Amino acid sequence: MVRILLRFSEDIVEQPITSQIILELKVPINIITAHVNSKGGEVLAEVPDESLDKVVKAFRKRGAKVSIPKLIEVDAEKCVSCGACVTLCPVEAITIDEDASVVFNKEKCIGSTCSACVDACPSRAIKSVKQNNSELVANNAH
Amino acid sequence: MKRLVESSGVEVAFREVDVVTTGTFGAMCSSGAIINLGHADPPIKIDKAWINDVPICHPGAAVDLYIGATAMSERQPFEYGGGHVIEALVCGKEVELRATAYGTDCYPRTQIKTNLTKDDLNQFYLLNFRNCYQRYNCAVNSRDETIYTYMGKLLPRLKNATYSGAGELNPLMNDPDYETIGIGTRIFLGGAQGYVIGEGTQHEPQNLNGTIMVRGDAKKMNPEFLRGATFTRYGTTLYVGLGIPIPILNEGLAKKTAIRDEEIFTNVVDYGVPRRNRPKLAKVSYKELKSGAITVGDKRIRVSSLSSLKTARKIAATLKAWIEQGEFFLTAPVERLPVDTVFKPMRQTEEVSFVSNVMQKAVTCSETESVQAVAERIVTRSVNHIVMVDDSGKLTGIVTSWDITRALAQGKTALADIVTRRVITAKLDEPLETASKRMAQHKISALPVIDNEKKVLGIVTAEDVSKLLGR
Ligand code: SF4
Ligand code: SF4
Repeated sequence: MVRILLRFSEDIVEQPITSQIILELKVPINIITAHVNSKGGEVLAEVPDESLDKVVKAFRKRGAKVSIPKLIEVDAEKCVSCGACVTLCPVEAITIDEDASVVFNKEKCIGSTCSACVDACPSRAIKSVKQNNSELVANNAH
Repeated sequence: MKRLVESSGVEVAFREVDVVTTGTFGAMCSSGAIINLGHADPPIKIDKAWINDVPICHPGAAVDLYIGATAMSERQPFEYGGGHVIEALVCGKEVELRATAYGTDCYPRTQIKTNLTKDDLNQFYLLNFRNCYQRYNCAVNSRDETIYTYMGKLLPRLKNATYSGAGELNPLMNDPDYETIGIGTRIFLGGAQGYVIGEGTQHEPQNLNGTIMVRGDAKKMNPEFLRGATFTRYGTTLYVGLGIPIPILNEGLAKKTAIRDEEIFTNVVDYGVPRRNRPKLAKVSYKELKSGAITVGDKRIRVSSLSSLKTARKIAATLKAWIEQGEFFLTAPVERLPVDTVFKPMRQTEEVSFVSNVMQKAVTCSETESVQAVAERIVTRSVNHIVMVDDSGKLTGIVTSWDITRALAQGKTALADIVTRRVITAKLDEPLETASKRMAQHKISALPVIDNEKKVLGIVTAEDVSKLLGR
């Protein structure tokens, strides 16, 4: 699976683009997070590697902006659970659990297109890394 | 202790508890390490030195050096610094030392380059001037832009807050009259045993801002409790783990060590104002801080910690285990920390300049005027910037002579079409240096000066600033 970040402008945000594409291409598109209001929307979705190309094309044809974010990874050795990153996350993907450990929810994180937490980490424990199928991504999507 | 006092009262707690252990783990900039290198052959009396490209100071004679946590690498400034060098040495890693000297009859050598580990050093002592702040500010930023400070990354318009400190776990908070803490108190320092060697610099006990000066053998320390760190666009520092055992000598101490986060308050301070006395916006307890959100006015603000509560707890638990296993012995201080010192501001014998020193009256216009009228005003008043205001004098935009020239060339007549609405501004009591930096950053040559209600007070121009600052 490859993660893609879809951005819908104000003009097209009302249209059911994602469902149309799912129906048209018969490709499962897994929505991970969605932040949508009348001014536009940002959706993080997962698509199967082999369908990436046609899915991206279909979204772009309908006016959505598609980007392939790098993933955010936290080096557990380096992280001291200080918490400095927590409030910078716009999607609340970083939380503190009962034993005061800082926990990243990779599912929620929108990846390198955000990166707000990266330069806030005093231990430099947060890195953005390429998706493991990034070769394929580079060839197909750009 | 805290729970026992609550459930059974101070008397019972005093009888049953011998020692309370505390801990904190946070960025402590006034930290560093003394090292002694031994003599080279032929010998050198070091003048300047670098380890892994980080400048190191030489406070003493030939081969004594001090690695300051905040000194930054010349090749990777703001990313790698003294704190990282100390961590590398503690981990047993090899570091590269470079040094130069002027050469004397007894110390002829003028330069040296060598690789070292902690085992090659005669002494490697952590020596921190100011650690373990009893409590610290909670920081927010009122500006329109994100700022990067030693309190971390602060989002614009109070969108987040940061704080530091362990609250009820903080060593000095548990013994606020320093009955058991002073010179010679044995403590947990960076994973090994260390000592308090006096009050820290800026020790301000009457304001509950006590600090301590500490020393410990860094060769025995553990990188889990001593970490180099980087605050983006502020610089490098060292995370220090520190814990103090507090013997419960009397009922008073039983009561004091039962202190709770809800009883410890600190100020929410606006770091958007670059002055020594930053505005205090609210008072909050460590309980609120640890809950993840605070309230300032009617605004709910998410708050991040900069120090690790998880590691602080681990320090208190480790210290407890050491004491129980007979590996750590408590000491009585030779001299207690002072309780009456004050922290004075710096005496400044040279005048500093603020925006108010160079501000001029702004030439203004209103939305409904024509391009032609404003063009004439630019000529008659010989200015380059016209500030647009509404009926109540509030800022609504800015027009430059360049905008006007272009508008005339393109035949535009409505001011509304050419005005810049997102105006970069300055505040009256802002240091001139920051205002000047902001102009450079945005490549503009003037800033309207406004008050908190956005009322225009005047204008400061790059020309006036450079006249005064002489650049
Ligand atoms: S990259 Fe953005 S979304 Fe992901 S964890 Fe960091 S702040 Fe949150
Ligand atoms: S800021 Fe860095 S070290 Fe602190 S909790 Fe987040 S990832 Fe961990």
